[in-house]
Amino acid sequence: MTPALATAAQAGLVSCEACHLLSQPASATEPGFCRRCGEELEFRRHASIEKTWALIIAAAICYIPANVLPVLNTTSLGVSEPDTILGGVAFLYSSGSWPLALIVLVASVMIPLGKLVALVYLLLSVQRGSVANSRDRTRLYRMVEFIGRWSMLDVFVDTFTVALVQLQPLMSVAPGTGVLFFAAVVVLTMLAAEAFDPRLIWDPSNPHRIRHG
Amino acid sequence: MADDKDQNELPQATVVRRKRTRVSVVWIIPILAAVVAVGIVVQRVLSEGPSIYIILKSAQGIEAGKTFIKYKDVDIGQVTSVELSENYGRVVVKAKIAKHAAGLMVADAKFWIVEPRISLTGISGLSTLLSGNYIGFQAGASTDAQRSFVGLDEPPPITDQQGRKFVLRAPSLGSLSVAAPVYYRQFGVGQVTGFNLAQDGRSVEITIFVNSPYDKYVTTETRFWNVSGINVSFGADGIDVHTDSIVALIAGGLAFDMPSFASPGAQVPADTVFPLYRTQAIAMKQPDPLERRFVLFFDEPVRGLSVGAPVTLLGLTAGEVTDVSLSLNPRTQTYRSRVLITFRPQTVFASLDKADASKVTMQARNRDLRLQVEERGLRGQLQTGSLLTGELYVAFNYVPNAPKVKIDWSKDPLELPVVPGGLATIEAKLASILTKIDNMPLDAIGIDVRNAISTLNATLKDADTLIKRVDTQWVPEGTKTLEVLHKAIVDADRAVVNADATFFAKDSPAPQDLRDTLQEVARAARAVRILVDYLERHPEMLIRGKPEGNP
Repeated sequence: MTPALATAAQAGLVSCEACHLLSQPASATEPGFCRRCGEELEFRRHASIEKTWALIIAAAICYIPANVLPVLNTTSLGVSEPDTILGGVAFLYSSGSWPLALIVLVASVMIPLGKLVALVYLLLSVQRGSVANSRDRTRLYRMVEFIGRWSMLDVFVDTFTVALVQLQPLMSVAPGTGVLFFAAVVVLTMLAAEAFDPRLIWDPSNPHRIRHG
Repeated sequence: MADDKDQNELPQATVVRRKRTRVSVVWIIPILAAVVAVGIVVQRVLSEGPSIYIILKSAQGIEAGKTFIKYKDVDIGQVTSVELSENYGRVVVKAKIAKHAAGLMVADAKFWIVEPRISLTGISGLSTLLSGNYIGFQAGASTDAQRSFVGLDEPPPITDQQGRKFVLRAPSLGSLSVAAPVYYRQFGVGQVTGFNLAQDGRSVEITIFVNSPYDKYVTTETRFWNVSGINVSFGADGIDVHTDSIVALIAGGLAFDMPSFASPGAQVPADTVFPLYRTQAIAMKQPDPLERRFVLFFDEPVRGLSVGAPVTLLGLTAGEVTDVSLSLNPRTQTYRSRVLITFRPQTVFASLDKADASKVTMQARNRDLRLQVEERGLRGQLQTGSLLTGELYVAFNYVPNAPKVKIDWSKDPLELPVVPGGLATIEAKLASILTKIDNMPLDAIGIDVRNAISTLNATLKDADTLIKRVDTQWVPEGTKTLEVLHKAIVDADRAVVNADATFFAKDSPAPQDLRDTLQEVARAARAVRILVDYLERHPEMLIRGKPEGNP
């Protein structure tokens, strides 16, 4: 759909990732350093796909305990009650505040999962050398990158609650193991999004592909 | 790439080592994540204890996922589901037991629902008011693992305190209840943990638990007695009121101690059976090696003679009545009361002590008994201990001129001869007096008395007429006489007053005259005295006359 445009790599040039200065690489294998800002130059991010895969797999692994293990241990009047994220959603929904339930469900369950799915899709499509929907895929990538920083909301709420609700012995809240995994999921997906080089999306559209995995 | 085509297009060896390994370091991250996640799963699985089933009558306050099983206030498990049993009669509670407590799930472990309990002996389970009910647990001693349990209706009273269990045998339970306190010198040292009928159904076995370190005071010499309620006894000894603590008053209680005369005694193992006495006094009675039971037959009624009434020997308590019943006198075919007594000579005979007593042979004792009873006339009789309550006791005294008896040595217990007791004697005397009264010609006496009274009545009537006559006839005469007399007196009085006025009126001439007259008389008297004096000195004057010129 999109016309194949000439890329810098195609032209034998390399763009600085930091200051975006277009320069001639020192050599084809070792592009050298940016003349302007000193950043190490790369045609494509180093081992982008592999890194992204590793981080996504790690995030996917962490995603399971993040949802299974309790994120909060509420001790109310001597009774300790562990709460998982989905349990909290169910509680909010059953107690009538379905908008809140929806927010938590979207922010804490669906977005991390969506990010993982999106990144997997991007990686697979890049590896298969797909040329279709390149523009949409780039948009998807931008969204994933943008949304990443907002996913820590849950962790923030959790930590604030733990810090504030310490009304011993009536009520106290302690963090559960789940929150660690949840934070790990968020951080790992952010790193994965960072590791992914969106320029790879466009490389297949180009007849002279430069492979830098 | 195409630097030099002369070199047959062979690739040039590079001096730089291939720096990229096939597997990037970044793969450490997912591996790490996987390891941690798997580790947690493994830890979860490993820490997972067994699931157990508890069958309860009702699941009051039990909620799946919220109710814990606690042992020593430590959560050892959590209820995972609450369901009705297959026949809907009971509740099956499934619980997940923590790994560390899995070893506690043995055959005789006990489960029960802990809820707030308020009883006379205290309030327990208050923490459940805030946290909700939980399932209490008591460890068992068995080693056989078990996964299905039947919950108790009531919490077992003793959890796992140090101490010892003892069994008390009593004829009846009295007002004892589970958790009733056990006192040692009025010090709460344990409690009643349960009771049940003995195998033969003739007595009650009460299980008590004495906490450590007080259990060491329970020895072979220890006596247990009941301190339940208020013990008021109207005995032949008088009134005795006794109570221990308020709790014991309401909920019942037990006490134990050692009699002062007893040696310390050896420690006893747990589950030793002790008799439970009714009162401290009974419990503390000294056992007597010479203790002997005798039977007495009284023809007189024994109302007021109770079990435990004293048996005295010459007024000293030397035993007690142990049974009072009726029996048929085979000779006369009449009923008579059969009184069983326990005689403890050691309590009264100063010369007897334990060591000696054991040496006294039965033969010697029987010889002595024959001498005392057959030769010396020692007899039992009923006597009144308290006139207020009519309590009786059995007294042994020497009865002079008692009819001779022979003891039937073949019987057991031996029958001792009796004589009618004090009250019976009094009754007999009263009866004879009544008979005498009965024999009196009361009717004749009555008629005589009535005659005498009618005569007296006539006499009194005569006296009455006489008095009336005096009243009507004599008294008016007397009155007249008195009036005349009164007039005379008044006249006399008036005469005196007149005389007084006549003589002593201020300006009446009579007093003046009288005064003058008296002065004259005085003067005359003086002249006479002078004359007399003169005559005394000059008696001759009577003859010669008064000499001239001499005064």
